[in-house]
Amino acid sequence: MDINTLIEVALIVVKVVIVSMILFGLPIPLTWIERKIAGHIQLRLGPFRVGPHGILQPIADSIKLMFKEDIVPEKADKWLFKIAPLLAMVPAFAVYATIPFGDKMTIPFINKEVTLYISDMNVGILYVLAIGGISVYGIILGGWASNSKYAAMGGIRSAAQMISYEIALTFSCVAVVMISNSLSLLDIVNSQKGLWNIVYQPLGFIIFLIAGLAEINRIPFDLPEDEGTLAAGYHVEYSAMRFSFFMLTEYVAMVTASVLAVILFFGGWNAPMFMPEIPIFWFVAKVAFFVYFFMWIRFTLPRYRYDQLMTIGWKILLPLSLVNILITGLFLL
Amino acid sequence: MSIFKNIFFIDFIKGLSLTLKYNVSKSITMRYPDEEKWLPYQRFRGLHTLNRDARGRELCVACELCAKMCPTKCITVVPMEDNTGIGISDRIAKVYEINLVRCLFCGLCEDACPTTAIRMGRDYELACFSLDCALAVKERLLEPREIPVDFDGGYVVKARLEKTKEGLKVMADLSKKKRWW
Repeated sequence: MDINTLIEVALIVVKVVIVSMILFGLPIPLTWIERKIAGHIQLRLGPFRVGPHGILQPIADSIKLMFKEDIVPEKADKWLFKIAPLLAMVPAFAVYATIPFGDKMTIPFINKEVTLYISDMNVGILYVLAIGGISVYGIILGGWASNSKYAAMGGIRSAAQMISYEIALTFSCVAVVMISNSLSLLDIVNSQKGLWNIVYQPLGFIIFLIAGLAEINRIPFDLPEDEGTLAAGYHVEYSAMRFSFFMLTEYVAMVTASVLAVILFFGGWNAPMFMPEIPIFWFVAKVAFFVYFFMWIRFTLPRYRYDQLMTIGWKILLPLSLVNILITGLFLL
Repeated sequence: MSIFKNIFFIDFIKGLSLTLKYNVSKSITMRYPDEEKWLPYQRFRGLHTLNRDARGRELCVACELCAKMCPTKCITVVPMEDNTGIGISDRIAKVYEINLVRCLFCGLCEDACPTTAIRMGRDYELACFSLDCALAVKERLLEPREIPVDFDGGYVVKARLEKTKEGLKVMADLSKKKRWW
């Protein structure tokens, strides 16, 4: 093993550590932002007392979560109950192995060129969708292992919902793959140098957005954790850090959905028309917009009923996504 | 038309634009007690005041009408003869106590008073740590209040929370007032 290989390995390790640190830290600002947006949309102020404009509130919350008692119900399936939050969390993080945040960047001072992605898998989008699909195991097992009716209901609902919406989500990605002729996320972004995919795929984008909302269990499709009917859904029995793992998963999933929407339909790190190219900045800005959009939707729309959810998934989104593939194929011919 | 509405998400867009408008508009939260405080109107029924006339004499003649009128019997008045000029006549209240725990703040004592000695004031921060301070004695009721009687009220004013030896106190700055709405 020569020195160059060692440097490459070290670089990958450093990148993995940085990305996972960022993802672990991300829910801290995101919870604050979400509560602030909730407050301002409802003409309130949101958290205001801990630190200036309540900015230290999530830190206070995380300290509280760390010191809370970790309760495992007596009749729960102990091993599954303990492992379920990890099963939900690990895939949410593993998705980021293929996600490109930019093309290449030269680190100043040492003049080393680094790629802004951990790996460029040639089946990138497939990997993302497959790993994202595993995430549902954590939720189902968490709901089932709790040995509680509410949690079990939440888990079952989430299983049905995620599986039915995953099809529409995947099909909307297929149309993008057809246009860019590659499954690699890097190639998909590079194929959008001129016009973004949103121009060719408005219908695909809407399907992706709706199915994505359902995939990440956010309002208007947050039936797995429907407070009104299920108390808290699949994580009703969880407390302390195990609960925070589920919350972490949820926020990371929201960021993942935003990142995918940006990469597949909004040209990744490509700057909008006539704007200067700045590495990472445009990518982060677009992702931030989508994260805001998801929060914005959360405090605007009510929750769908369960039968409506299934109707939308199977009777509307699935045929529409198939039609979308058909139209895309006809245009490509 | 409804198909058109559904296809282009007209209802969604309407809702989203409304919430976006709210998101950028000003919040209506009053930051009490750190920054703002609500000053009630003159008609407000807060902690009672015992008043004096223009020459500084106590208006109360200890007629006990307020005590008789009080629906919860929370006012105790013990009259005393006194011709040294403390009161407006030769009869003043030796003891005048209002048990604020029982008081309804209905304002009937105010209506019953023939000399307008007892009036409902505008202090509403009556929380305390012991029941001692829930008994408003004569000296406390006679003290001049922070908000002058002729101040019209109905404002939000700048305020700040102060920690004093007696406990927390909200200091209001009456000069910087604004309408709430």
